Amino acid sequence: MDVKKVFFEQLSFFISVPALIWQFFFLYFPLAFIVYLSFVSSDSADAGFTLAHYASFLSWPYIAIVARSFGLAFVNATVSLCLAYPVAYFLALHMKRWKHIFLFLMILPFWTSLLVQVYAWFFVLEPYGVVNTVLLSIGIISEPLQLLNSIYAVFLGMVYCYVPFMVVPLYSSLENLDARLLEASADLGASAVETFRRITLPLSLPGIRTGFFLVFIPSFGEFVIPALLGGGRRMYVGTLISHYFLVLQDSFTGSAFTVLVGVILLLSVFLTYYLLRISIMFLSGGMSE
Amino acid sequence: MITRRPVGICFGLWILLFYLFLYITIIVLVLSSFSSSSSGRLGDWSLRWYQELFDSPEIWQALKNSLVVAFSSVMLSLLMGMALVVTSMRTYFDKVAFLFYGGLAVPEIVMAVGLLSSFYFFSVPLGLTTLIAGHTLIGLGYVVPMLHARASELDYRLTEASLDLGATQTQTFFNVTLPLLWPAMVGAALLVFIISFDDFLVAFFCAGATEQTLPLYIFSLIRMGSAPVINALSTLLLLVSSLLVILFSSLRVRKLGVMK
Repeated sequence: MDVKKVFFEQLSFFISVPALIWQFFFLYFPLAFIVYLSFVSSDSADAGFTLAHYASFLSWPYIAIVARSFGLAFVNATVSLCLAYPVAYFLALHMKRWKHIFLFLMILPFWTSLLVQVYAWFFVLEPYGVVNTVLLSIGIISEPLQLLNSIYAVFLGMVYCYVPFMVVPLYSSLENLDARLLEASADLGASAVETFRRITLPLSLPGIRTGFFLVFIPSFGEFVIPALLGGGRRMYVGTLISHYFLVLQDSFTGSAFTVLVGVILLLSVFLTYYLLRISIMFLSGGMSE
Repeated sequence: MITRRPVGICFGLWILLFYLFLYITIIVLVLSSFSSSSSGRLGDWSLRWYQELFDSPEIWQALKNSLVVAFSSVMLSLLMGMALVVTSMRTYFDKVAFLFYGGLAVPEIVMAVGLLSSFYFFSVPLGLTTLIAGHTLIGLGYVVPMLHARASELDYRLTEASLDLGATQTQTFFNVTLPLLWPAMVGAALLVFIISFDDFLVAFFCAGATEQTLPLYIFSLIRMGSAPVINALSTLLLLVSSLLVILFSSLRVRKLGVMK
């Protein structure tokens, strides 16, 4: 009996372990390996410790690339938040009958290929595409605008692709809001705006945070959208990383840049975490959590 | 709660514009897939691109590869995730759970680059196998938290009762645990399938030069210039994924119905 119990414990341990091994082998080992590569000399004769791969990034073009991607990701997350909040708010708190249909319509583009969505923007933005045709026929412009292959096209594509990732966490945090709190606030004489500012907004902070990071983190390293809509004239973090690894085949400098980007990302996530909390507290009139 | 009329109209307009923004590309894609012009301009309706789509062997090869990769990664991540959650749930799961959330904080491109360098270092030839390894990793990041969330909602006394009443470990697993976890498994499987099927980035780095998946093929078509076949293909894919979404959400609804 005892032997059998021990056997089952051992067996269940061995059954559970493959997932952990997989995680170590294909996620944590590669991450550690990149960090290792970034510090090791690319000269195969002496594979010693070096900081040379990092030294090259202290020049203007690289700083500009990181700043451009950072700015784009930050503005993307902020704009997505502003676009998505009213939608999530209305769906979660005021819509009754059509809610499921609207949620379904929200998730549908989420499940279609990112590439296909980006490709569709070509048709909308091209010189004789939808936007230019509409603007021309209204008479705002007299000749087609060059909308493709610019940072604006990249920005538009990013907002478009990432905004559902903002709506979903906002919706679920607003949906779980205790409606009695809002009623109490109204009963105690607060106006609708005040109730929103002092009750709804601070209580939706977890959703705001999740949404912000779900948009910010992937758009910082985004490769597909800049590669297709940006026209290849300007580099972004994602395109530069792939340039190092796939075009130049320089894993050492590429790893160093990847590590640098990872560190910047981590720092900005920490910073934004507190920044969001402080700004929400400020907006809601200094209420503590 | 009563919304005053002008405020309500503003909200309605905002939501309308928001959904228009979300759907403008899809509308344009579907419409131009039926247009015979190759620049995407509307008019002259035809099924020319669908014809061309069905005649293209590359697309079918790429679709086959994508399906193979997606099915394998779903199966692998589901099996391993399931094994981990079910057997370690009551022992050490909480101590290792954080390992599976790490993937969410790492941008996909960093993951892809890491995989590429490690495969290169160990001289593993790139191909569908390496891609499956990568997608299984991504899949585990979804499967494990989803199954764990479902498993921790379950009443552990059910399994205890089953064991007390004389069922073996295996019988308990197949007759009690598995049926209870089923909705979460189907949900996770669909999600991982779609993610793997749509993934471009990991495939771009880890699939090598010889094997093509559907997203890689679409990317190369877009890069080469206008390729109206993609419109037809996208319309069909849209149809398939909306069917999957409907399936997924009806499962979710049924699950909620049971819990209420």
